Amino acid sequence: MTSGPFDNAPRPFGTVLVANRGEIAVRVLQAAREAGLRGIAVYSDADAGSLHVEVADDAVHLPGATLAETYLNPEALISAAGGCGAEAIHPGYGFLSERADFAIAVEDAGLIWIGPPSGAISTMGDKISARIRMLESGVPVIPGAELSVPDGADHLGALAACAARVGYPLLLKASAGGGGKGMRAVHEPKMLRTEYEAASREASAAFGDGTIYVERLLSGARHVEVQILADSHGNCIHLNERDCSLQRRHQKVIEESPSPAVDHQLRQAMGDTAVTAAKAVDYIGAGTVEFMLSPKGDFYFLEMNTRLQVEHPVTEMTTGIDLVQKQFEVAAGLQLGIVQSDVCMSGHAIEARIYAEDASKGFLPVVGRLALWKPPHGPGIRVDSGVRQGDVVTIDFDPMLAKLVVHASTRRAALRRLDAALADLVALGVTTNIGFLRNAAAHHAFASGSVTTEFLDSAPISEFAEPGADPAVLVAIASAAQRLGMERAPSDDASGSVDEHTGHSGDPFRTLSRSFP
Amino acid sequence: MDWSVGEDSRRYTVALNDSDGALRLSSVQHDGMELDSPEISITRDDHHGRLRVEIAGTPRLAYVAKVGDAWWIHLDGRIHIVRAHEPGSARTEPSEGSLSAPMPGTILEVHVKEGQRVRKGQTLVVLEAMKMEHRIQAPKAGEVTNLHFSEGDRVDMGEILVQIGD
Repeated sequence: MTSGPFDNAPRPFGTVLVANRGEIAVRVLQAAREAGLRGIAVYSDADAGSLHVEVADDAVHLPGATLAETYLNPEALISAAGGCGAEAIHPGYGFLSERADFAIAVEDAGLIWIGPPSGAISTMGDKISARIRMLESGVPVIPGAELSVPDGADHLGALAACAARVGYPLLLKASAGGGGKGMRAVHEPKMLRTEYEAASREASAAFGDGTIYVERLLSGARHVEVQILADSHGNCIHLNERDCSLQRRHQKVIEESPSPAVDHQLRQAMGDTAVTAAKAVDYIGAGTVEFMLSPKGDFYFLEMNTRLQVEHPVTEMTTGIDLVQKQFEVAAGLQLGIVQSDVCMSGHAIEARIYAEDASKGFLPVVGRLALWKPPHGPGIRVDSGVRQGDVVTIDFDPMLAKLVVHASTRRAALRRLDAALADLVALGVTTNIGFLRNAAAHHAFASGSVTTEFLDSAPISEFAEPGADPAVLVAIASAAQRLGMERAPSDDASGSVDEHTGHSGDPFRTLSRSFP
Repeated sequence: MDWSVGEDSRRYTVALNDSDGALRLSSVQHDGMELDSPEISITRDDHHGRLRVEIAGTPRLAYVAKVGDAWWIHLDGRIHIVRAHEPGSARTEPSEGSLSAPMPGTILEVHVKEGQRVRKGQTLVVLEAMKMEHRIQAPKAGEVTNLHFSEGDRVDMGEILVQIGD
């Protein structure tokens, strides 16, 4: 091995395999290159020509047609690492990132796991055990009953009794869950059975575990989460909060930091609590403690995500701390090198998730080829993308195409920058939520910083409808485009210095620009 | 060539004049009626996929891409789809009461039988796609006249799943 950045670290490694795809694989591989590490991608047949393979120093093919055979296959990933000389594995988010058995298998194979200890993953990964550990540590949890309804047991009797105790409206949640999958709100007893069965099935399909638990549905609450960083020397700090209240069916749509609902005092209280939660499971690495923030300013532990978060860039933009670099350093056994008082908070950052979906048709995911893809660029604009022009969006993977992140001195300025950047994002050939995002961000409820997690699901979709344009102008443009032969392939494009993938043209801030699945 | 915009089934015909390399809009018609339209002049741009569009004296840039019979247009920060049709071709009005698969997926559950009366909002079929369950609900009360799939079947986007008659 040639000399690497961590040669003299307690746990040296010079080559990292990224067990993921899409924007997060691109993000981690670019960070690896920046750090002076060799980055190895993995790819399934469907991803042979994907961007994350292109940006890697080397790539290993994962045979098989299904996710279970490829990105969800621990043996294949570990043997891929062995075959290419990787000494460490970064799991990204999703896929195997929160599977304790994978973390154990990676370490048993003599590799470095770029993530928290397996014990922290399993305690926090099981939402029921996490609730109990938090209660023991004095971290406030959402009122409710920690009743577990094991898969295969007498669900309905136990469930009805538990539901009655917690009270309606309530939330059914997958104990192994996350990302809204296996989660259902129940507003009245007669819907309990239907929703339970749907939740359990979704949980089984998504996580291989249909265990469901019951929690009170808090109304009027915001979703505020705290980024934490911990090293293997006992240092643990928080990097302020992110507000992810703008959600649709429990899926985050726009995230920002700082939260418009959090003041300095509350920030300190939530930050301290997040650090307590992390320490309660001997956490190491980057993680996120999610809270529900009630209208009265009380906050409750929701769950801890024991991995890098999709929305981590807003924290990077406001603190100037590169979370993936910190993950590498901590995995190599180095100290954090910063203490709590070093963490600053500069300006305001907002992230919008660009999805291939049709807002006018119930946000159904759509497929197609990105005939034209031109991300915006300029000061304070970062695009983390896993796609480029010409890529085909399929139903095989998550429909998130990219994340658009903006940073400005104030929230108002950041909102203006977000709107301008979304307007500049050209995505033709695949229907996206770009127009919806512009309308949602401009909605007075969001602009005034007063949305709750229920806002998007309760507001009529007409409030976010696309403004009409003069049909005469549009048909004139289409007709002219046809006459001018604009459909020809872009091969003879007088391509300037702008990188088609990232949209960056020699941007000095390019290192902060990445892209998702 | 006839044109339609977005989901709207109205058809338009366009006449352009070529003058000095610029295409000027001379008329837009809908059902033989001349529409009021601003002065529009369109020229090629050096960038791939980009047109210079001057609307009532104000210059703008529009990105365009052709996918199938449709032109996708990015103009003033918004994306539009304009479809080309053979002149006089039949308008495809989606028949009311036909429910098609919103995306490719697998039929998880079928809750109704052919001939069954259903009420508005009743769940007819549950489709699993993108690891999420989607309930296909009756848009109106009526009778299930055709049921095209059964549990476990794979369906493609746009395939008719259920038809409901009055």
